[in-house]
Amino acid sequence: MVRSAWLRRAGPGIVALGAAGMLTSTTLGARDRPWVPPDCAGDARAGGTSAQAARATSQGNVGDAPWFRLDPILDANGSLAGQRLVIGRVDGAGKRTMELPSESFAAGPFGATVLVGTDDGARSRLFVLDVVAGCAAPIDTSADVIRRATISPDGGSIVESRVERESRADQGIWRRRLDRDEPAEPLIPPIGADGRFGRTWSTEFLWTVDGRELAVQSCGENACRTRVLEPTTGALHEVDEPDLGPAVGLADGRLVSYLACRGLPCPIVAIDLSTGVRRTLAPDAGPAVVIATDDGARLVHERVVGSRTSLFTVPLDGSEGRDLGAVPAGLSLHMDANRSADGLDAAAGWVLLAPEGRMPIHGAVAPLLRHVPDGRTVAVDEVTR
Amino acid sequence: MKHIRDRRLAVLVSTLTLGLSVLAGSAVAHGPDPFLAGGAFGQNQALNFSWRSGAVPVAAIQTAIKAAAADVTATRGSKAATFTYATTGGNPIGYGLGATCGVNGIACFTRTAPTSFTMWLREQGHVFDWGSLKWCQSYSVPPSGCFDVETIALDEFGHVEGLGHHVNEPDESDYLDAVVQTFSHAKPQVGWNVHAFGVCDVATLQRVYDVLSWSAKYSTCNLLATTLTVAAPATVVYGGSATAVATLKVTDASAYGRLGANPLSGRVVTLQTRAPGTTTWLVAGTMTAGATAGTYARTLTLTADVQVRAVFKAPTDEGLGGSISSTATIDVGPCKVAPCPMSAPAGSQ
Repeated sequence: MVRSAWLRRAGPGIVALGAAGMLTSTTLGARDRPWVPPDCAGDARAGGTSAQAARATSQGNVGDAPWFRLDPILDANGSLAGQRLVIGRVDGAGKRTMELPSESFAAGPFGATVLVGTDDGARSRLFVLDVVAGCAAPIDTSADVIRRATISPDGGSIVESRVERESRADQGIWRRRLDRDEPAEPLIPPIGADGRFGRTWSTEFLWTVDGRELAVQSCGENACRTRVLEPTTGALHEVDEPDLGPAVGLADGRLVSYLACRGLPCPIVAIDLSTGVRRTLAPDAGPAVVIATDDGARLVHERVVGSRTSLFTVPLDGSEGRDLGAVPAGLSLHMDANRSADGLDAAAGWVLLAPEGRMPIHGAVAPLLRHVPDGRTVAVDEVTR
Repeated sequence: MKHIRDRRLAVLVSTLTLGLSVLAGSAVAHGPDPFLAGGAFGQNQALNFSWRSGAVPVAAIQTAIKAAAADVTATRGSKAATFTYATTGGNPIGYGLGATCGVNGIACFTRTAPTSFTMWLREQGHVFDWGSLKWCQSYSVPPSGCFDVETIALDEFGHVEGLGHHVNEPDESDYLDAVVQTFSHAKPQVGWNVHAFGVCDVATLQRVYDVLSWSAKYSTCNLLATTLTVAAPATVVYGGSATAVATLKVTDASAYGRLGANPLSGRVVTLQTRAPGTTTWLVAGTMTAGATAGTYARTLTLTADVQVRAVFKAPTDEGLGGSISSTATIDVGPCKVAPCPMSAPAGSQ
């Protein structure tokens, strides 16, 4: 899968990764000494370790599943000076902290790996961190700014969103195949200007829960446009309704999206991509995710009723909504990595409840997992896949 | 009676909330801001905020947020909730990161009315596709393209109150009518540093939370119909005095939320008279404040039958429509020509 491909590419870029790490910090504790990952190619065991981890996370206990969290590093004036990336495993092993340039991102986890992008003001670099093996492998570099990237579910390619370095003009979506030694190629053209949405503030990727289709969401300050790509045919379906906000998920031919609220609670709707028919799934949802279950994809969202915050779930056709019980005090539903700037690959059918809705680095309140089919709640390291 | 009114108002607010929520995607341009789902806070509810642990804004940002909170109190024009900083405040405002902000925007909020709220502002230098965020308060000389923290925080406080984004005219000529806007303006665009709610923000706050007093002005972004009635004695002796009492209210319409049936004090209501059978009304004079809220009185000395009506001319400085009462007739009699044996004694008026 992706590991075998990127390990073949591992090489000189790792030195540059380390050079990006030396930043002063007011939020990074002294105990978290920045980590400079070794080159995976230089570690003969890395591939094997990663493979074992992948098997563990796909078949065994989620306790060794990787997670990441990205937080800004501020200087004394409150200005962004860099970003702190923490990676680790749910069982507490392998926790490492990297310091990255201000314009950085992380995505995943993808198996045992986290995809990381950094920009030093001259070039953008993409690399993959193997959380289990504790090493990194470069994937791509670009003179344009790589704003976001994702790995295809089959592990065969990297998809990137780029902007031109000086003008910040949209350069479209690019794809780099990992099984060929070829440069990245244009996949989707830059999105056209549209005054209803204003300039583009963020471009994010979203895979269908079955991994077959990719959505590229371009958000203005408030509303978002979504282009859904069917990779095998190249067909592109655009949803450009200016009352739609950030997407929650994509499944069963439906785009699930908040309205353009810029705050919570906010209505969530499902748009049938073939008919355009819209259905309200939640009139006043808090944090929300779309997950796969044995009964199909479902929306799970927080909902406040009186003084009680509970989890509520509804299938994407809007039928059979049900209460999944109260959200424990101090915890909140973890949303997708795009919104929460952290990621944990929970098993199908489970949602994560975490402090502030994010994987904690330190702290007394432990995250929990809740099983959507029956509302069962367990500690985060108890769930088997 | 008051309890009944309160219950009815609660229903009206619920109705208004639902109605405005439905309108969120289709509100009329230049109308009052739409109202968000999730209900309202209490009237004049005091909401204390503090800085979020681990995400405390730097001093300049803190000062601007506190100023925005003061702007709410000063310009809400209604009984909307107020915001005050307190070290133990239960509503955290954070700076620098926050899952609730999602992928776009420079600030965000959550609201759990009527109990709590949260707010986040992105950090100075946060990188978006278009470039890096600049807060004006981070510079001694704010550069072009910076966003004013006080304006943005006021926008967020407005959201917490329940305000949705104002729907502007296509040319945005009414941008200054609301601070709660879909698109934030950076320096030096119009409205980049507005530190007061706009009239269309206030219009919705008034509908949801009510006005501060019966004499308070109604936002010009509202256009509320008024109802004016007049009462007068049916008969008066020749040369006697009759006091006409007018009552001015906001028309009791469910769409007006809490404003429906509000008495209107401190307005200019004139009394007009005419002889029965004629068509021309003459101004008898301005009515003075009556004994109860929304009432106006004027006393006439009558030696002939007269018809009276009250007139409220639509003011130019607030969002009230004009209204004219129905006509009341005062009969002088039974003697109608002096000297009348039952006439009022001289100097009795």
